[in-house]
Amino acid sequence: MTASVLGRVVATERRPNTPHEFHFWTALDAPVGVGTIVRVESTRPVNGVLPSVYGVVTEGFGYTDLQTPLHDVLGADGVPGSSASAPTERTEIRLYTAAVLRQVPEEPLQPVPIGTVHLATEADVQAALRMDTYVQGSDARGIPVGAYRSGGTDAAVHLDADFLLGPEAAHLAISGVSGLATKTSAVQWLLASIFTHLPARKGKVAAVCFNVKGPDLCFIDRPATRLDPADRALYDALGVPAEPFAQVRYFAPWHARGTHLATLRTHDALADSVTPLTWGLRETLQYAEVLLSREDIDAKADALIDFIKERVVDQRFEDKLLEGAHEVRAFADLERWFRELLQGMEAANQEQWRTHHIATIRKVRNRLGNISTRCKGLVTDDGTVSDLPFGAFEDRAVYVVDVAQLEEDAQDLVFARIISQLREHLEKRALGVEQVVVFVDELNKYAPSDGADTYVRQMLLDIAERGRYLGLVLFGAQQFRSQVHRRVVGNSGTQLFGRMDADELATPGYQTLAPATKARLATLEKGQLMVRHPHFGQPIFVRFPRPAVLTGREGVEQFPPAEVPTLEMAVTKTLRRLDASITVGQVQDILALAGDDEEAILRARNVTLLKRPDNVLAFFSKQLRKRVAPEVVGGRGPAPLRAPATDDEYG
Amino acid sequence: MRLLHLSDLHLGFRQYQRQTPLGINQREADVAQAFARAVDRILELAPDLIVIGGDVFHTVRPTNTAILHAFRQFGRLVHGLPETPIVIAAGNHDMPRSTESACILRLFEQGFAPRADGASPILVADRAPRRLQFPRLGVSVLAVPDLPPGSVELTPDPEARYNVLVLHGEVQGVLPAAGGDDRAAAQIPVAEVTRAGWDYVALGHYHVTTRVADHVWYAGSLDYTSTNPWGELREERVAGRAGKGMIERDLRTGVQVVHPLAPTRPLLDLPAVDGSGRTAGELDAAIASAVAAVPGGIDGAILRLVLRDVPRHVARELDHAALREVQRRALHFHLDVRRPESVRREATGGAPGRRPTLTDALREALAARALPADVPREALVALGLRYLEDAERDEGDRLVPGGEG
Repeated sequence: MTASVLGRVVATERRPNTPHEFHFWTALDAPVGVGTIVRVESTRPVNGVLPSVYGVVTEGFGYTDLQTPLHDVLGADGVPGSSASAPTERTEIRLYTAAVLRQVPEEPLQPVPIGTVHLATEADVQAALRMDTYVQGSDARGIPVGAYRSGGTDAAVHLDADFLLGPEAAHLAISGVSGLATKTSAVQWLLASIFTHLPARKGKVAAVCFNVKGPDLCFIDRPATRLDPADRALYDALGVPAEPFAQVRYFAPWHARGTHLATLRTHDALADSVTPLTWGLRETLQYAEVLLSREDIDAKADALIDFIKERVVDQRFEDKLLEGAHEVRAFADLERWFRELLQGMEAANQEQWRTHHIATIRKVRNRLGNISTRCKGLVTDDGTVSDLPFGAFEDRAVYVVDVAQLEEDAQDLVFARIISQLREHLEKRALGVEQVVVFVDELNKYAPSDGADTYVRQMLLDIAERGRYLGLVLFGAQQFRSQVHRRVVGNSGTQLFGRMDADELATPGYQTLAPATKARLATLEKGQLMVRHPHFGQPIFVRFPRPAVLTGREGVEQFPPAEVPTLEMAVTKTLRRLDASITVGQVQDILALAGDDEEAILRARNVTLLKRPDNVLAFFSKQLRKRVAPEVVGGRGPAPLRAPATDDEYG
Repeated sequence: MRLLHLSDLHLGFRQYQRQTPLGINQREADVAQAFARAVDRILELAPDLIVIGGDVFHTVRPTNTAILHAFRQFGRLVHGLPETPIVIAAGNHDMPRSTESACILRLFEQGFAPRADGASPILVADRAPRRLQFPRLGVSVLAVPDLPPGSVELTPDPEARYNVLVLHGEVQGVLPAAGGDDRAAAQIPVAEVTRAGWDYVALGHYHVTTRVADHVWYAGSLDYTSTNPWGELREERVAGRAGKGMIERDLRTGVQVVHPLAPTRPLLDLPAVDGSGRTAGELDAAIASAVAAVPGGIDGAILRLVLRDVPRHVARELDHAALREVQRRALHFHLDVRRPESVRREATGGAPGRRPTLTDALREALAARALPADVPREALVALGLRYLEDAERDEGDRLVPGGEG
């Protein structure tokens, strides 16, 4: 036995070796445990080649020659402490079961031969995980996911970019209990790794991350306050710079009040870096089904909504029931259109209009009109659009969309529209990058395995199944993998597991794991993951470094959110992003023009921010001017008095 | 397409103490009569469109008498010109400053029977601007009441054949300077009203008929209804205008006529009398002479006579009985006695002496000034002194701008 020999393969009738599993024993002090990768060397050639077998330990057993526990009691005279003074030590064995990762040569596939077992070296790990096919050479495309550490061996574990980002396979699902900072941290680390290691020939890549809770992703452009030497060593070993993301663009809708953005990144020093996310009628109506429940909207209502989308919105629309031509470009226009149409129908005593019944029209008006209220801050009445830069996405940039403070409906709308837009642009190859990683946390909420078939779930299923051809890659995180739709999880080429809940491990999805592996999964430390990847014959345990970015919790401590501003201060702060010389006094003077019309003021601010004019104050002031809609005098038949009820001061 | 532009009616305006036999303030009656005369003239002219640039009433809550009068006169227009729309943009005197008060002008929009086409004969923009399209006339009228400058997008209607802007407010640089930069925020930049696309801009607020640009005009008031009628009179003189009027403009040809309106009573600023070195008796004679020289007599007129450089003790000795007689005959006689400049002690501590007057200083300066050979010095000095005299006479009036209302 040489010094490098760790153990010997054993096979008995009761425990035979198979092509997929073998057993070996080791010395009692052998540095081996569940997850250790080993190499078996046989001295018997097959077809003239000495086979090598790589395996990963999945189970361990230890026992002695005791027939029953009672024999040990008798040997120690019933005193547990006296066993140390026993004249001889009992024979003891460490027996391990390993799952085969790879056999070399691959053919013929035979049971694992009897041979010596060695700890895997770095090269062995590469070979065992088939990384040698994609980590070196001219077609190198390995993405480090972490470091394998066992028995003194440190080896980088790489994922195959073709199987992580497509086109061979794609998507990543990460599961783990909440509160251990594993899921978000792992995704941040993996994104940094992708940005560093994805070869240029694979095209440009960007990431869109939805921040669905608290400040999780709000400070990923800021360096971490503390990074242990061990973490730095891991960064060095894996060839990823320990730096925060260089290019991060933040997007957040306005708060329902409209004065400030609905995000926790509102500290004065950082607020400039958040771009408002607002959509108008056209953008919203396209995804109306996300917000309208099936119970509410039947075929008749659907037909009317389609009619509005195709024939009314964004074009000149005339009808004999309407007083004049309408150009519906915003929710406010649509409301005017509905109001005038219904008034016209009532005046003409009509119950049907272009096959639509008046009750259907009222219902659709009510449901559509609700949208801008339910999604206040995101959906604007006036049609102001401030969006992600579809078509001008930048390479290695992260686009964080903060929806944490939005209502559930509005969050659904954000997912649906952004992901659909990404897909549409990628289909046309017009996004600005060839691949986009979309990170969605709480996937069990958006693509649940049971419950109603929602638009968002349909869309996530579609991405999971077709996204890899487009370059649209889903990184989904969830606490309970078993509660995510099977087709979403099943289409994830790569799966990461942090510490798992024991109940979750008892579900059928984890049946293939050995009890020891499950036990380890249930006790994984922070910074450890179990990785499943198409190239890896078995799940592998790796360590990954803490992300080199400020965590959400540290971020809000270092950059506490600003207090809710007054209207004047809110407008001043926003306009100062365009012209630092603007004073509160100047803004107050201009606001006097609008009087109490807070909505008009916020609308003017939004347009100014969007247009970024040279003369900010002049442009802002101009937006506050009342635009006077024309009234045709004498266009109708005789009427008793001009709308006496509407301007009666007594109501 | 003929448009008639009038403005600043100030119905209900009251001034002085004199009353009519029915107990109504005489000036209020005068102003009402001026409007009635204007309506007579409008009925003769029969324009296609009438626009009123605001300040129909002098106060936000006019008297019943004023409301009834306005109703009758507008009724005459509505019935006399059944095809002619009347557009009113409320002025600062019409607009309530609190939300609990409504603008009385809306009564006229809702108080007359609609025309055959369903439209009100009178259309009022009070709380908000209105863009009124008259397809039959091919004209679109943007009527803007007295709102903070810059609060309304003043753009023409691209679909209209003719575009008319009716606006109540102060256009920058048009009114005589009374104040300074602090008024800038309340003024409308000239460029806002002279931009291309408007066929006519009918302004209200300034009481003197004034051209801002070829197609941009203040029609002026129908009577002297500002707080300082003498200033208003002076500004008319400076502008080369004689009295009040209305503007008629043909939008098709651009031809424009200012129709003068006869004054309800004379408003006369008599030539000033220099009282320096004169006795009270001499001044009494000068006053009598000035009053006697008024063509047509002073009965019912509104008069002012400025006496310059009259010390207080001399003023006390004037013949007040004679003055009371003048006041009785005239509707109002304002004897404006101005004392000479005070004697002061020099700050250097020298002997007290009379401070040189501006006239002295000008005379000395012109006497010492180097002149070209062909300019006679005496003529220059005389011209300079005459200019100074004119300026001093106007100075008192300028302290309060005349035509703003």
